[in-house]
Amino acid sequence: MPNMNFAQALNDAHKVEMERDANIYVAGEDVGVYGGIFGVTAGLLDQFGDKRVKDTPITESAIVGTAVGAATAGLRPVIELMFVDFIGVALDQLYNQAAKMKYMFGGKAKIPMVLRMTCGAGIGAAAQHSQCLEAMFMHLPGLKVVMPSTPNDAKGLLIEAIRDDNPVVFLEHKMLYALEGEVAEGDFTIPFGQADIKREGQDVTIVATANMVHTALSAAEKLAADGISAEVVDPRTLYPLDEEGIIQSVKKTHRLVIVHEEVKFAGSGAEIAAIVAEKAFDYLDAPILRVAAPFCPVPFSQPLEQAFIPSEEEIIDAVKKVME
Amino acid sequence: MSSVGIIANPASGTDIRRLVAYGSVFNNQEKVRIVRRILLGLEAAGVQQISYMPDYYGIVERALDALKTSMNILPLVFNAKADQRDSMRAAEILAQNGAGCIITLGGDGTNRVVAKGACNTPILPVSTGTNNVFPYMIEGTIAGLAAGLIAAGKVPQKEGTFTSTQLEVIVEQQLTDVAIVDAVVCDDIFIGSRAVWKMDKIKQVFLNRSSPASIGFSSIGGMLRSIAPHEPFSMVLELGQNGPTVTAPIAPGVVETVSVKNVRMMASGEEVALTHSPCVVALDGEREVEIKRGQQATIRLSTDGPLVVDVEQTMAYAMQKRIFASDVNIN
Amino acid sequence: MDLTNEQLLDMYVTMNKIRTFENRVAELFADGKIPGFVHLYVGEEAVATGVCASLTDQDYITSTHRGHGHLIAKGGDIKLMMAELFGKKTGYCKGKGGSMHIADLNLGIMGANGIVGGGPPLASGAALACQYLGNDGVAVCFFGDGASNQGTTHEAMNLATCWKLPVVFVNENNMYGISSCTLNSMCVPNIADRAAAYDMPGVVVDGNDVIAVCEAAAEGISRARQGKGPSLIECKTYRHRGHFEGDPCAYREDSELEEWKEKDPIPRLEQKLMEIELLTDAKINEIKSGLQKDMADAEQFAEESPFPDVSELTEDVYT
Ligand SMILES: Cc1ncc(C[n+]2csc(CCOP(=O)(O)OP(=O)(O)O)c2C)c(N)n1
Ligand SMILES: [Mg+2]
Repeated sequence: MPNMNFAQALNDAHKVEMERDANIYVAGEDVGVYGGIFGVTAGLLDQFGDKRVKDTPITESAIVGTAVGAATAGLRPVIELMFVDFIGVALDQLYNQAAKMKYMFGGKAKIPMVLRMTCGAGIGAAAQHSQCLEAMFMHLPGLKVVMPSTPNDAKGLLIEAIRDDNPVVFLEHKMLYALEGEVAEGDFTIPFGQADIKREGQDVTIVATANMVHTALSAAEKLAADGISAEVVDPRTLYPLDEEGIIQSVKKTHRLVIVHEEVKFAGSGAEIAAIVAEKAFDYLDAPILRVAAPFCPVPFSQPLEQAFIPSEEEIIDAVKKVME
Repeated sequence: MSSVGIIANPASGTDIRRLVAYGSVFNNQEKVRIVRRILLGLEAAGVQQISYMPDYYGIVERALDALKTSMNILPLVFNAKADQRDSMRAAEILAQNGAGCIITLGGDGTNRVVAKGACNTPILPVSTGTNNVFPYMIEGTIAGLAAGLIAAGKVPQKEGTFTSTQLEVIVEQQLTDVAIVDAVVCDDIFIGSRAVWKMDKIKQVFLNRSSPASIGFSSIGGMLRSIAPHEPFSMVLELGQNGPTVTAPIAPGVVETVSVKNVRMMASGEEVALTHSPCVVALDGEREVEIKRGQQATIRLSTDGPLVVDVEQTMAYAMQKRIFASDVNIN
Repeated sequence: MDLTNEQLLDMYVTMNKIRTFENRVAELFADGKIPGFVHLYVGEEAVATGVCASLTDQDYITSTHRGHGHLIAKGGDIKLMMAELFGKKTGYCKGKGGSMHIADLNLGIMGANGIVGGGPPLASGAALACQYLGNDGVAVCFFGDGASNQGTTHEAMNLATCWKLPVVFVNENNMYGISSCTLNSMCVPNIADRAAAYDMPGVVVDGNDVIAVCEAAAEGISRARQGKGPSLIECKTYRHRGHFEGDPCAYREDSELEEWKEKDPIPRLEQKLMEIELLTDAKINEIKSGLQKDMADAEQFAEESPFPDVSELTEDVYT
């Protein structure tokens, strides 16, 4: 398997799918000539031309809205919003239009679109360019929410997302773009709703998403030195959520720590904790703990930003606590 | 082969006079529609070749989008700067290439620069600017027909055109610029936003044409006497305080009363010195020439201004010669 | 327009202050001293300077991601700005905001903005408050050519004329929104053309001529102050640097940049002021070395200031 970074893997997924299906178009700000601010759409304009790779004006509401309309009328848009924070400008088109249309129309509409957005802190981009908002999307019936953590997952999940007939929100953590890894060649998909065990363990389950998967893995490594065997589970898609996979792991380890970068209060971890509490309470030997950002916007100053992002130490502390 | 040039200024009709006065808003989509009608008029008059000034908006290209025509329509090739210089350069090239007529779309400002480059090529100015004395408020189709008749030689130049006078600004013995309607001396040191709207800044007004029914500074003289554009004299007004007054529409929607210290007529060839330095001279409504402290500057009337198509006369000649009619008797 | 010698010199100093600040920020960013995104205003100084010359501390501005120039022109303190860019506790926003969020509400600066098109509704809102409170204040909205395509901008303009709000929309048309050229992103040649749709005056001025900007803005602002409603002033200009520091600018020609550098607003004013003997070589040196010193002081202040304490992370979320 070739080695590529996360951004290249996403780029590859675009190419595989665009070659296969002529009805896929890509649109967004600076996706064409610039190749995407993070390089994900590099080379697509040259390969597929401006009918299929469209640089748009700065007009998020219309980028999303036209994708919804085009998808409903037979195309398969794959659109980019640069930063997830900008969804605020376009939210109506996503949640009142895309998410609800099929239901409101009694099941008649089909909206096969993918909305790609960059999320996450770590580069000093401050409060309007650094958020993680996955819980907000999870809360909207009708949307699927994908959040990969490795280059291979990114590619397989993006191809799956493009083939899905529902609107899919695809969240890419900006600290992952340069991450290298082996990526399967050509055409392959990873089904939604299948968590991936990134590290097997016996004593505690750590459910983590996106960049936090890697922080959790290094915490697990340190914990192993202390004799604690942690299992790191990456749900990969938050809707559909692999409840069964998470519960299976908890049934084995009897302890659960949930880690994510978005704020803890009403975050995605709250849902996961509630599901486990409802369905596997009897298997738990300790209260469920969450490691997540404090309830504040993402600060600019580097020491504050670093304090905002959940750390390896916080994960280790939480694990030790549930092990007591 | 009869050929016509088109110079449509995409920047006309956007200056500050929409803020400081009540200048009309003339958007470029409307210029596109006018050009379409001009082209159809030109074709009907038998013109085969059109050359146009390329502009960043693509006024003529957009006009062609919705037209079917057998005319050969090509952009002039030069390195466009997206400012005044383009119009002048385009006029020069059209004149060199022997265009039979140049149609302009713009205001007095646009026509001033075209006049500088057009040499003796007749200009048919269509108004799409702000203070419009020089260009005609005219339907594009008619402009196309008249320009076509002149360019194709169906109406001889001597029947359908006239030579306008112009005002020449001479700084330190050097011919520096020209005005085709008015030159206004302002007590100012900056060109800035170009328009002139504070009357207390104006010291002298030179007019080579005036009419009581026109807009802009020339209307100040126009309230005193008319001067046709080809008449070989001009008026010089010195403004000041406590003199007799004139009330005139100096800008769209702005009727002001000014105090006139002195008015005199100026013959062609005569030079009148500017009373102020430093100052800025506004030409046809826009501040253009900076006169530095101590510089000698004069204004002179020249009878050798632009050659202009007289649309009424051109069309009247066409009527007399039954250019657009076969043997029809009026009973 | 009657500008006093003092006003002319002030504008010259302000433009140079912005230029000096931005050039220093570019160096500090390259040295890794400033994290995040910085969008510099080099080449566009005449716009903020010419507009803010007619504003008082009681008036409001909304700014953009490219906000340093607006801040300086509206009277912002470069020490506090620099400290903010460094992420220091002593900065304008205690280090929480950074380049894209600097604000000084005491000076009516309603913040730089990370959201393109975020400012126009805020400006109309500030203008509503001025109108409502009857305090004679006006709001100026700086926004880019790119921002002019956002729905929020159009909604804000429409409401501004419907309610006759004392707001002036100042468009900084530098021909690009990141890589996207106005030739492809809009179908009218001038942003000012859009004003007609909202029944407000829309004018185009040379945004690299501080006097032209100043004259137009003075008219728009006094019109707003007199209760005659909003206007739109489009300033044609160009950014000399990339969209953000680190942008390779592959989407535009070097020759285009060179042409615009010839129209650099600072030498243009400098030459004129020398001509009328308001400036001499000695005076220019004095101004420039004074600015260099101020800049060095600001940098030292930023360097020496402490970072915020981690305990401050969750402060300031609510009152
Ligand atoms: C809502 C939103 N969309 C996109 C962006 C990303 N972005 C930041 S600046 C910019 C270009 C803005 O162009 P313009 O308004 O012309 O301002 P300029 O950068 O030229 O000063 C873009 C697309 C953003 N910050 N906010
Ligand atoms: Mg721009």
